[in-house]
Amino acid sequence: MTSKQNIDDSPIDFAEKIIADVKNSKEEGVLKCVQCGMCTSTCPAARHSDYNPRDIIERVLEGDISILEDDLIWNCFYCYTCHSVCPVGNSVCEVNQILKQIAISNEIGYDKLYEYMGFADSYFTAAIGAIPEIFFEDIKNDVPGWWEFRNNLADIRDELELDPPLMPPKEVIDEVSKILTITGFKDKIEKIRASEEAKQ
Amino acid sequence: MKLIPDKDILLFRSCLVSVEYPGVESSTKFVFDKLGIDYAISEKQTCCTGLGHYSDVFNQIDTSAIGARNFKIAKDIGRPNLVMMCATCYAINKKSVKLLNKKDDLRNHINQLFEENGLEHLKYEKDDLLPSENIFHVVDILYGKISEIPKHIKYDLSEYKIASHHGCHYCKVHYEDTIAGFRDPNIIDELIGACGCKTIGWYDHKRATCGTGFRQRYSNPDLSFTATADKMNALDDEEVEIVVHLCPNCHIQFDRYQPLISKREGREFEAIHLNIAQFIAIAMGGDFDKVIGVKAHTTPIDSVIKELKEVEQ
Repeated sequence: MTSKQNIDDSPIDFAEKIIADVKNSKEEGVLKCVQCGMCTSTCPAARHSDYNPRDIIERVLEGDISILEDDLIWNCFYCYTCHSVCPVGNSVCEVNQILKQIAISNEIGYDKLYEYMGFADSYFTAAIGAIPEIFFEDIKNDVPGWWEFRNNLADIRDELELDPPLMPPKEVIDEVSKILTITGFKDKIEKIRASEEAKQ
Repeated sequence: MKLIPDKDILLFRSCLVSVEYPGVESSTKFVFDKLGIDYAISEKQTCCTGLGHYSDVFNQIDTSAIGARNFKIAKDIGRPNLVMMCATCYAINKKSVKLLNKKDDLRNHINQLFEENGLEHLKYEKDDLLPSENIFHVVDILYGKISEIPKHIKYDLSEYKIASHHGCHYCKVHYEDTIAGFRDPNIIDELIGACGCKTIGWYDHKRATCGTGFRQRYSNPDLSFTATADKMNALDDEEVEIVVHLCPNCHIQFDRYQPLISKREGREFEAIHLNIAQFIAIAMGGDFDKVIGVKAHTTPIDSVIKELKEVEQ
């Protein structure tokens, strides 16, 4: 006997929660999984780490919510290879994204998001999703000439006669900021930031 | 084949194209102009949220609300055909259109937020746009004009060893709409064929990810670069000189990180990396500085393409 929920138990709460999620586009795909392992055999994260998409679905169907706190779920590349080869129309890639959103709504994984707060900031200041500045030092070290290129970007864009300019008009930035405030995004970002900075 | 538009197009600006490889935008415009495609750019359109979305910072409601605003802008200027230069923008926008049409709760929730906050003008009505009829990648539009491409080819690039890399978020996310195969993807190979060249076709790891993996590149670089090395080793085994792709995420991963991955693997990878619009623009005679934007590239384009040979008439 296992203490976990079995597939013939009813309801299959955890799987049902995923099926009902706004992001799910595969209807009841998760319930159709036959554990064939096609996802795992084609997955780049499974090839090079202990991440295992077949195992993710098995744990979801067992109702094993400890998966929300498993660091391995953060190894998915979101390459959708599993999604494109699944013979029963399931998508582990999508399930993985839903698991992370459930985790975040339970205040799990804030440390994983903290480095990416720059994506939120650039939306409020420029309505674009620029690479967060926190990563610039790594890029400068890893990519020869990148910083010099970035400093010449305006001249390069001029030579290519690209118009309009990078930054949208102020009223556009204001409208987008308003949208991201009313969806609850801004509050969520502030909460994550406060929570992580309180630990420092 | 599905109907591919050649007019009423909003060419959707991409954050990564704008700041990393602006030559992809100028090359796309150059090729579209040659092929008589009717398109415009809007300064009101904003980022799709893709990079933040796939780093798990934006949830689906945030992303679809931003999408609804961009879709409304496209409709309002009479350009309901969104055409993306970036595979991530393509996947994100197509998914938002699908969800907004299909999930009444999501659409009603976003519309209610708009209504209660003075943004009524952004409300999205069911089927305002259709995922297969209105949401495209640049490669789709080029494919719609594939028989026209040979008429504009000025330079012969057929002596180079060329391979394609098809971005995952074009091929694998909405695979029902992917043209020319998603298990054995070939749309780039066919477009290169229209330029009078032949690619190497299938190679080991052809359909695999570039290795970016969004957060993997920054938070998990060993995992990311190891996956990229799979691809680079396979391309080098085939002695490929030009790798052609369709997404700025892949472009960054291959072009910017090639020197680093060479060091990691102890193997000198020397291929150059071009977006398919840049490849076709070169073949059509686009200037390297004023159209192709080679100054943005880390691996110099002239390390492989040293001179251009005109096609024999």
